[in-house]
Amino acid sequence: MSERMYPGLTQEERTGFAPYSAFDIPADLRELHGRYDVEATALRVRNFRYAEEWMVMMMGGWVATIPEIPVKTGLGKVIWETAQAADELGKRLPELRCGRKSLEASEAPNTAFADFIQEVSNPETPDLTIEKLSGVFDVLIPHLVEIYEMHNRETDAICDAPTIEILEHMVRRKRQHIQWGQEVLDALCDDDETQQRRRDRANQLSGLLKESGGVTGVLETGQASLN
Amino acid sequence: MKRFIDHEELARDSRFIRQDAAQANVISSLPDDVETVVNVFEQFGPIIEAGVRGTSAEPLFEELGPGFMLTVLNEPLDPDAPAAVPRLLLRMHGIFVGELQALEGAARSLWDFPDAPWEFKMNMARQCWDEARHLQIFEKLLVHLGGHVGMYPESTFLFEACCSEDPAMRVAGVNRGLEGLACDVFRDMIRFANKTGDEVMKQAVDYVLADEITHVRFGSEWVKEFTKDNPEHLKRTQDFRREVDKRFSFGGARSDREDAAIPIAREDRLEAGFTEEELQELSEISGVGPSKKTLSEAAQILRDRYHETRKAQQEGASS
Repeated sequence: MSERMYPGLTQEERTGFAPYSAFDIPADLRELHGRYDVEATALRVRNFRYAEEWMVMMMGGWVATIPEIPVKTGLGKVIWETAQAADELGKRLPELRCGRKSLEASEAPNTAFADFIQEVSNPETPDLTIEKLSGVFDVLIPHLVEIYEMHNRETDAICDAPTIEILEHMVRRKRQHIQWGQEVLDALCDDDETQQRRRDRANQLSGLLKESGGVTGVLETGQASLN
Repeated sequence: MKRFIDHEELARDSRFIRQDAAQANVISSLPDDVETVVNVFEQFGPIIEAGVRGTSAEPLFEELGPGFMLTVLNEPLDPDAPAAVPRLLLRMHGIFVGELQALEGAARSLWDFPDAPWEFKMNMARQCWDEARHLQIFEKLLVHLGGHVGMYPESTFLFEACCSEDPAMRVAGVNRGLEGLACDVFRDMIRFANKTGDEVMKQAVDYVLADEITHVRFGSEWVKEFTKDNPEHLKRTQDFRREVDKRFSFGGARSDREDAAIPIAREDRLEAGFTEEELQELSEISGVGPSKKTLSEAAQILRDRYHETRKAQQEGASS
């Protein structure tokens, strides 16, 4: 056994440290290559950021038009956490060769998804809290969670790990948002009529979401189903 | 969803009733003349009375007549003064609805200005969370003091006064005017909590005050950014902020005057980014208005006349 601390210039001048692969301790079964290359991931991150930024804006617009105080205060927290999500996605873009000025870049995958977002944001008057919340918490956020988790499964787990870290954190928070939204909607929809309103709104928006292809514009069969 | 809403469109649940915003606007423009003050309040008497009927402000109206807000606004909070509890609750409820409107103002900025820089949206989003927590804190404090949400009418003049359709003016109004006023009021509430030994209120309001300083700082920075390279825009924004500050001084109740019920929190404002020059200007703007002596005399006359009229009405009814 060599007692050298550092390699020398000849075959005999090796150190004595045991040779492990980068994946041996602890055992790591991840493999290289994922479904998305750098450009594809950058586009997807801009798509994700588009949805997050618009959620911040529309929920901000709704706070003053919603009469229920706990919904106003709850949205205050969701708005901030959603803004943080959009911010993190923006910070990822320069790392994906989008340029130093790409921090604020958002991009809709197509006009149909942009129209879908506008439809989600449409309810305005104080009697439409159910329609407002159903669009975001029954349809849009569950869809985003589904797509973010799919991205994390399909992207290169080593090369694109920074995106995965961001999305994992976002998914954890979005699950909390969904739970909050479900509790609020369950409380607000306490009779047949209001429950039907919620279902109608969710069905309408899910249809538009499917037609648009979702946040990346390439929705696959079975996705964007109701949560 | 449209951009920009009127203050009358702020959504509320069934506990709330509105106060005519004209009253608050009139208070900010009263001259230092007893007769004029009395005439104005007598003119508004029926509106004020209609606004307080069925609320916890009704006993104050019954005791003090249509000028009850003059007494409430212009006398410092004193735990030993008459009607100390209802006045404290009235102040606390006013803070609660002020926080509510601050939340709505910051949140609307996210929707009303879609092309604003992302950093601005981040600041407004953070402010939404802070104001939402403030709303929760002041609901708890209201209950802590024996009150409840909706016990007094809500004036939406804070939102009305500061929610401009120009982003520079919006942040000047909300983040410097309204949040600056909040700094003054909260410093005064901490003084009151010190007097009464209320550690719950003292600690909670101190945390809120720390947040407000951050929000004022947002305003200071974004007014500069939105008006950079445009001196004319800066001037219009400063004029707007002066007008907001004047309205939020309630005729001198919030000012540097010795008789002010709510002194200007100079140290807190300096930390938040106000300059000495701006504070001097605020001192001059807010100090204009009827003196405490004028308002006290007017309040006394209004109270006496109200009771005389009531007495005459009762005698007429019984005969």
